[in-house]
Amino acid sequence: MGVSGGPPYLSIGRLTKRFGAFTALDDVSLEVFAREFVVFLGPSGCGKTTLLRAIAGLDIQTAGTIHQDGQDVSSLPPAERDFGIVFQSYALFPNLSVRDNVGYGLVSRGKSRAETLSRVTELLALVGMPDAGPKYPSQLSGGQQQRVALARALAISPGLLLLDEPLSALDARVRQHLRHELKDLQRKLGITTIMVTHDQEEALVLADRIVVMNHGVIEQVGTPTEIYRKPASPFVADFVGTMNFLEAMVAAPGTVSIAGRSFRVDSLNGMKPGTAALICIRPEDVKTRNVEPGSENALEVEVRSLEFLGAFARARLAAADGAGPDLVADFSINLLRDLGVEPGLRLPVALPADRLRAFPKAG
Amino acid sequence: MTAATAPPIRARASRDDLIMRACLGLFALWLLVAVALPLWSLLSKSFQDRDGVFVGFANYLRYVETPALFQSFWNSLFVAAATTAIVVPLAFVYAYALTRSCMRLKPLFQGLALIPILAPSLLPAISLIYLFGNQGLLKGWLFGQPVYGAVGIVTAQVFYCFPHAMMILVTALSMADQRLYESADALGASRLRVFLTVTLPGAKYGLISTAFVIFTLVITDFGIAKVVGGRFNVLATDIYKQVIGQQNFEMGAVVGVILLAPALLSFAVDRVVARRQVAQLSARAVPFEPKPRRGRDLALTVFCLGIGLTILGVFAVSVWASFITFWPYNLTLTLKNYEFGNFDPLGWSVYVNSLIMASASAVFGTAIVFLGAYLVEKSKGFGLGRGLVHLLAMIPLAVPGLVLGLSYIFFFNMRGNPLGVLYGTMALLVVNTIAHFYTVSHLTALTALKQLDQEFEAVSASLKVPVWRTFFKVTVPICLPAILDVTIYLFVNAMTTVSAVIFLYSSETKPAALAIVNMDESGFTAGAAGMATVIVFTSAAVKLAQLGLSRLLSRTQAWRTR
Repeated sequence: MGVSGGPPYLSIGRLTKRFGAFTALDDVSLEVFAREFVVFLGPSGCGKTTLLRAIAGLDIQTAGTIHQDGQDVSSLPPAERDFGIVFQSYALFPNLSVRDNVGYGLVSRGKSRAETLSRVTELLALVGMPDAGPKYPSQLSGGQQQRVALARALAISPGLLLLDEPLSALDARVRQHLRHELKDLQRKLGITTIMVTHDQEEALVLADRIVVMNHGVIEQVGTPTEIYRKPASPFVADFVGTMNFLEAMVAAPGTVSIAGRSFRVDSLNGMKPGTAALICIRPEDVKTRNVEPGSENALEVEVRSLEFLGAFARARLAAADGAGPDLVADFSINLLRDLGVEPGLRLPVALPADRLRAFPKAG
Repeated sequence: MTAATAPPIRARASRDDLIMRACLGLFALWLLVAVALPLWSLLSKSFQDRDGVFVGFANYLRYVETPALFQSFWNSLFVAAATTAIVVPLAFVYAYALTRSCMRLKPLFQGLALIPILAPSLLPAISLIYLFGNQGLLKGWLFGQPVYGAVGIVTAQVFYCFPHAMMILVTALSMADQRLYESADALGASRLRVFLTVTLPGAKYGLISTAFVIFTLVITDFGIAKVVGGRFNVLATDIYKQVIGQQNFEMGAVVGVILLAPALLSFAVDRVVARRQVAQLSARAVPFEPKPRRGRDLALTVFCLGIGLTILGVFAVSVWASFITFWPYNLTLTLKNYEFGNFDPLGWSVYVNSLIMASASAVFGTAIVFLGAYLVEKSKGFGLGRGLVHLLAMIPLAVPGLVLGLSYIFFFNMRGNPLGVLYGTMALLVVNTIAHFYTVSHLTALTALKQLDQEFEAVSASLKVPVWRTFFKVTVPICLPAILDVTIYLFVNAMTTVSAVIFLYSSETKPAALAIVNMDESGFTAGAAGMATVIVFTSAAVKLAQLGLSRLLSRTQAWRTR
């Protein structure tokens, strides 16, 4: 997944950042490899932006080290580091034309006018806005401004591209479109990229690896599939995608009891019998087709309500005999039609043992 | 957290950071010299006797025990309270008409009300003398009472303070949420009830703030009491008499410290009010749009017309009188009152002095103020330096001009002070003027800077562009309208100010506004009116130039249009 061999391009060692009594980053370590697209994902206040700003040198960490391309940059001011950055607000200079914005960093590197101009033209073509040169930022749409900001950041050919929620100020449609362009561009240029977002969908689509953060610590680092399929903690499970959380007790090795019923679980994460556990399953992993009553982990449920979501519907299910967990499960529209699913219908469903994830219950 | 924590990191300052910190240091030094140290010397002087020996509160005791002096304290409180009681309601109705009615010609009415700002406070006082003085046209209206004294002071102060009160109240009343009024309507509240439960509470802080500002303005104003005060002594004239008349610097210092009290109080109240005001209007509020209501709109138009014409009239009296041969016996027009050489040995050169002083204050002041605000807002780290500079920049708002001027006498005349060479020079007048009007300018610049994207500097750093380049290429161009505001504000105030410079001018550097005081003192009222007229028209011309220039900016700079 874009991870090349060799030493990491960026290496963050035991980073801590405190604002007074508040600890925004707590002993965070991370490695980012060359050409990789890494996304920092988490709710607001989780420390993701703080980490990005520490990497940029904008808010230098209280303790810990940052090595970039083999060089210790831990205490360097931003001007002495090698990165390009795009902010949520884009921070385009409103009084300069698009051309001057993109060429802003080139002029002070002693490039000739002709060189600057040809580089600017090239960059504007790269972001798909070849004719925007003479315009001013206020004459552009949000999406166009975002591309200009990207072109400006790329102009000085930085070794590292930092994106601070670059898409979140845009409306949904533009956001989806730009997401793909951004990914293509990053692949084409092969530039090591770190993006911050609170939008899990964005992270799943864009990232080679996702770093999920919460309360100033890294909860999990992994590919989008790993994060989605094998969340390392209830927090990750809850934050990325939708998840059923079922309170359970470990009954025997490989078996838990949920609301008085026994279920088999492939992996119990090393929990001993007698421990309180949380069992997780995604709504789309609840097996609803061809379930034989009495087969493994099957139970009879009654449909309580249906929520139509376009390509599928999400149903609230309750155990038909009242003993058993309440569940949320997804039905494709096809299945909905075939089974005639509607509130009040009773049907057997199963919780596949390989799709159940178990966590120790906190507290 | 695992066993041992990683070693702490000390951020290395970039070259830009170092430059900005050095500049901040220089700024702290400038504000110390121009504001803090002079005030300190005033304060310590009030605790010393003539020979500089510390005497504790002896001077203050003597002040309270001297009835002639202490009476002025009560007199000042009285005129300030009376003026406030008259101005605030008038200005409130006027501001209400401008913001909450569908009255026509609002810009015209707003302009009319702002006229007094263009003139020295002396002008309304001079007009009053022409109207109600010993040779006044309408003297009979006062039933034989002299205009000199409390009546004259309060009347002139009302005129002089009106625009200040109006501006604050217009701001307060503009911040209204349409939805509150719609809800009140939907609940069937009567107009009076809506006014009492929605409008008034919304403007509460504005009203409090206005009252304190006006109270302070009156207490600290010198010109009006000097011209129409007669034998009615107030603090501001006392300080002048003690220092200039009797060379009693210690007592002058005591009066100065006393004068500082109401200003400090009002300053503190204003800070508190400003903090509360923030939460008033959320970002989602719907701006208030007045709906036409014939009766109300007509009544308010009549009211504003009355006030506006009175202001224009008072202003016109001085202008007219300055062209009159011999008031009120020979009303033929003449230009001889503009031959200022007949009234003041410096003649027209006082006007040149004023122009030099105002231009220098405007140019240097704007540069200093803007750069200072930029450093406070944009430099990284060095929080102590930034906090100190900001604090020092806020002090002048609470320091009346007379007090600042007096402090300068003490500080720049101190034995062994190398800056003493500045005493009596134009340079010191400029420094004093910039310091006197520093706070409002500083806040204007700061507000403009706070509206810039916080990340411009971060982007520049990532692009390896030095901070000064972004300052000149981006920050200054964007803030040009605010910079222009500061320049004009400094210019107009330097043209009209009397209070601070009265202690600092020399025979060669006397500015025009002070020539008015001198001419009036020597009985050349027509000459004083003439000079006041010249100043008013100069200020007006500069204001109009600003209007034209900012129109030009928004028209020629394509990026300003949305």
